[in-house]
Amino acid sequence: MTQHLPILAIITLFIGAFIVALIKEKNEVLRNTVVLIATFMSFIFTLMMYKPIIGEGNIITYWMGNWEPVQNWAIGIGLEVDQLSLFFGLFISLSIVLSALYSFKYIEKETGKDKYYVLFLMMSASVMGFIFTGDLFNMYVMIEIMTFASVALTAFRNNKPEAVEAGFKYIAIGSIGSSLILLATVIIYAQFHTLNLAQIAGELHNNYTITTLFALALMVVGYAVKVFAVPTHFVAPDAYMTAPSSISMLFSGIVNKAAVYGILRVLYVVYQSMNLPSVQFMLIFWGTVTMFIGVTMALAQHDFKRLLAFHSISQIGYVITGIGLATALGITGGLYHALNHTLFKGLLFLCAGAVYYATGTTDLDKLGGLAKRMPQTALIFIIGAFSISGIPPFNGFVSKWIIYQASYEAGYAPVTIIALIVSVMTLASFIKVAQSAFFGQLPKEFKNVEEVPLSMRVPMWIMAILCIVGGIFPSSFTKYLITPAANAVMNSAKYVEVMMGPEFASKFYNNLGNAPVIDYKLAGYWQPIAWLILFGILLLAFTLVALLGGFNPKHFSYSDEEDAKYDVFYSGESAEFSHVGGSDLFWGLKYQFRHYFDLMHKIHNGVVNDYALSVVLTAAVVLLYVFTFVR
Amino acid sequence: MSNKNVKVKEYIIKSAADFFAPIGLILGIYIILHGHLSPGGGFQGGVIVASAAVLIYLGYGYETATNTLKPNLLKKSEAIGALMYSFFALLGIFYAANFCRNVFYNVGNPGDLFSSGTIFLMNFAVGYKVLTGVGFLILLMFGLLANKEA
Repeated sequence: MTQHLPILAIITLFIGAFIVALIKEKNEVLRNTVVLIATFMSFIFTLMMYKPIIGEGNIITYWMGNWEPVQNWAIGIGLEVDQLSLFFGLFISLSIVLSALYSFKYIEKETGKDKYYVLFLMMSASVMGFIFTGDLFNMYVMIEIMTFASVALTAFRNNKPEAVEAGFKYIAIGSIGSSLILLATVIIYAQFHTLNLAQIAGELHNNYTITTLFALALMVVGYAVKVFAVPTHFVAPDAYMTAPSSISMLFSGIVNKAAVYGILRVLYVVYQSMNLPSVQFMLIFWGTVTMFIGVTMALAQHDFKRLLAFHSISQIGYVITGIGLATALGITGGLYHALNHTLFKGLLFLCAGAVYYATGTTDLDKLGGLAKRMPQTALIFIIGAFSISGIPPFNGFVSKWIIYQASYEAGYAPVTIIALIVSVMTLASFIKVAQSAFFGQLPKEFKNVEEVPLSMRVPMWIMAILCIVGGIFPSSFTKYLITPAANAVMNSAKYVEVMMGPEFASKFYNNLGNAPVIDYKLAGYWQPIAWLILFGILLLAFTLVALLGGFNPKHFSYSDEEDAKYDVFYSGESAEFSHVGGSDLFWGLKYQFRHYFDLMHKIHNGVVNDYALSVVLTAAVVLLYVFTFVR
Repeated sequence: MSNKNVKVKEYIIKSAADFFAPIGLILGIYIILHGHLSPGGGFQGGVIVASAAVLIYLGYGYETATNTLKPNLLKKSEAIGALMYSFFALLGIFYAANFCRNVFYNVGNPGDLFSSGTIFLMNFAVGYKVLTGVGFLILLMFGLLANKEA
C-alpha cells in the first residue's frame, strides 16, 4: 500500500477534476462534495507518507506499469518521493484543501463554477505530480498543465478587461518559461538518452560539459520565470490581482513553491552544482535583488492584492537567497521560509478575498475602518502581517532570523543588511494596509458590510494558528519537517542509489551510505518566553500611554497647512473625513526616492513585449554567466 | 444526404466532404483500435477522427456541424474518456501491480485485435478522449469564426 501512496495522491485530484467536468453546473452540493473529497483524500494520502518517509527515513520509488530499469537503464516513468518532495507535498496538499474549502462560499455568486473547479483540481493535481515525479519530462508536462490551468484561472473573472489582459500576459511569459524548460529537457535527453532524474544525476556527477551547462542555464531561467524572480516578475502582480483570492493563494502557495522545488531539485540533486561558489553567488544575488525590488514596488501599491503580489515576489527572494547559501543553516532557513510563506501569504490573500467578498473592492484608497465590521478578518490579517514582517512570536521571524544568521555566517553580510531592511519595509507597507483597510474611518457605503461566512473563516483560522504554532515551536518544526528535507537536499547520492540501485550509484559516487547529516543546532537564537515577556511589557506600556492620553491628538502640535494631503496623519480628527488612502502614508519616503520609483514605474510599463524581452535578456545574461564562471 | 433542410453552399466541397469524412472516420477508428499492433495509437487516431469534424464544417457549415456533433456532449465525453483511462490505469493497482500496469495480457492470441489486455482499453480511452477533445476544440474555434462572420 505504501508504495502506491504517491500516485494515489496525484490521481485522486485528476479523477476529481474529470468527475467535476461531468457534473451539471447547477448541481452545487454534489460538485462541492466531490471537490472536498478529492482534495482531502489527496491530503490524507500525502499525510500517510509521513511515517515511512520522514519518520523512518525511507524513499518511496514507484515505476509506472512496473517498467523497472533494465541493466541500469531507466526505461519507464518513475515516481520518487524523498523527504524534500514530501515536505513540499505536505504543505501544498494542505493549502489545496484550505483553498477548496474557502472557494465554496467565495465564488458562490460567480458563473462558470464548474470550469473553475475543473481547472482548480487540474492545477492542484499537476503541482502534486510535479513534486512527486522522478522524471524530467514529467516535470515539464506537469509544469505546462500547471501554467495553462493558472492562466485560465487568472482570466476567470473574464467580465473584467484587466483579467483577460493579465491572462494574456501570463500565457505569453509563462510559455517562454515553459519553452526554456522544454529546450533544456531536450538537450539533456540528447546527451544522456534518459529522462530519469536519478540516472541523469548519476551521469552528471562531476561531469559537466558545455552542453549540460547550457541546459542548466536554460532550466534555471525557466524555473525562475515560474517563480517570478525579479526581471521576470512583471506578470505576477497582474495575475495575482485579477485571479480570485483562493487562486492567488494557490499561486503564491503552490505554483511558486513548485518552481522553488524545481530549482532545488535541478541545482542540488540533479546537477549537484551548489558546492560551486559561482552558482551560489548567482542565486544569492538574484534572491537579494528580488526581495529588494519586490518590497519597494509593494510600498508604492494602492491595491490590496497587488501589494500582496509584490510581497510574494519579495518573500520568494528570501527563499532563493536561503537555498542559494548552500549551507545547512541556509537551506533550513530557505525551506522554513518556503513553508511559512505558503502559510502567511495564503492567509493574507484569503483576507484580501474576505475584504473583496464583503465590500466588492480591494482598492486601498476606497477601503477603511473594516475592523469594526469584520473583527475576525482584521485580527487574522494582523497575525498574517506580523508573520510576514518577521515579528516574534510568529513564524516569519524564525525563518527570517535563520536566513539572517546563515547569510552572515556565510560571509554575505551585505545580504543580511538588505534582508533586514526589506523586512522593515515589509512591516511598513503592512502598516499602510492595516491603516488603509482595517483602521481609520469607515466609509459610508461600507456601513452595512458583514463578517464573512464561517466556511471562509475556518481556513483562515487554521492558517493563522499554524502561523503562530510555527513561531512558538520552531525547534519541533525543524526537527520533524525541515531538517529531514534539508538532509535530502544535500544527499544526492542517496536519491540516485534508491532509484537506480546501489550498483548504478557506486559507479559514480565513492562515499555511498555515509553522506553528511546536517548537524544543526538552533544556536540559542530563539527563546519564546523572553520574547513573550518583552511583548507583554511593550503592550502594557502602550496601553498605559494610551490610557494616559498620550495618543490624544491635542497633545501634538501641527500647523494648519493648506494642502491637507501632506499633513502628518493622526487618527481621530472629528472635523472632517481624513482617511489616509493607500498612497499617502509614506509620502515622505516616496518623495525622497522619487527617482528610483520613477525608474521602476517606467520599467513596469505593462507592455507584454517588453516583459518578454526582459525574460529573454535574463536568459542571455544567465547563459553568459554560466558559461563564463561555472566550471 | 438528401435532407432538404440542410443548406448546401458549394457542391464540390460538399461532395468532397461526403467522400472523405467517412474515410477519415474509418481510418481514425482503425488506427485507434490497432494502436497496440501497428504504428499510431489513441492520440493519432483521435486527431484523424476529429478531422472529420472539419470536413463536415467545410461541407455543411457551422450550424449543421454543431447540430450533428453536439459540443456539450463532446465536452462530457472527453471527461468520460479521461475517467476511463484513469480506471483502466488503476486496474493495475487493484490487480497487485503498479499504476498503468497492463493486466489480463494473456488473453487472446498475439496479433489479434483483442489480445493485449488493458493496454488496448487504455489506448481506446486515450483515442476517445482525443477525438472528443480535439473535435470540441475545432468546433469552438469555428464557433468564433462563425460569430465573426455574422
